[in-house]
Amino acid sequence: MNKATKAAILAVATLLIVGSSVAAPRLLIKEESFDFGYAPQNSKVSHVFWLYSIGDDTLKILSVKPG
Amino acid sequence: MEKTVIAVGDSTKLEIIFSTRQYKKTVKKSPRIKTNEGGPEKRVRISTTMTARPDSTYPVINTPYKVDMSQFTEKKVTRKKLEITNVSDEDLEISLVAWAEDYFDVKMPKSVRAGKTVEAEIVIHEDVIDKTFEKSLTFELSDEKHSRFTIPVKRTVRNVRAAGTRAAGGGGK
Repeated sequence: MNKATKAAILAVATLLIVGSSVAAPRLLIKEESFDFGYAPQNSKVSHVFWLYSIGDDTLKILSVKPG
Repeated sequence: MEKTVIAVGDSTKLEIIFSTRQYKKTVKKSPRIKTNEGGPEKRVRISTTMTARPDSTYPVINTPYKVDMSQFTEKKVTRKKLEITNVSDEDLEISLVAWAEDYFDVKMPKSVRAGKTVEAEIVIHEDVIDKTFEKSLTFELSDEKHSRFTIPVKRTVRNVRAAGTRAAGGGGK
């Protein structure tokens, strides 16, 4: 194995190691939907969803928009 | 939302508030959540079926169908009763599905026999006694459709000082 080949293998290995260790945030929502069932008109109902940060970097909630 | 920056392994609450207004039938909403995760936005989904005549629902009728726990005088309002009348011909089990745990507890009976009425009770936490809020509770029945009902729970406090004093004093004689 010549020097050029060794260098190429080393470079690829380095890229793979660096690439696999890049920290990434990840959001998990265990309960993604909720059915209120019957509710009266002209009132407010509410439900709490839990958001979990399960990646390996800090998760930032940038915005929540009504659907 | 309690916080928008969530450390690894941590979690936060996202409260979705839906105003039922004059909507009719079933309404579905899908709020979108954008994060620094990249990729497409994630969604949570809610659905609600509006009852134009909440005093004549089936298989149960809830009285009242929305609970007002407002307090405008020094008279302490910390608990309210709710009647659930089974208007069907089958005994029904009742499961409390969700409620605003940070604001109140719900004492819910486990079942209601056909044609009978049972009482549930909402008890406000002492630490939110001086707060104004609009929350709700949801329960599910054991009928074939697994019918769900959501009861709005509203509290307005105008005499905050009095409410706080009463709470601190325990409200007893």
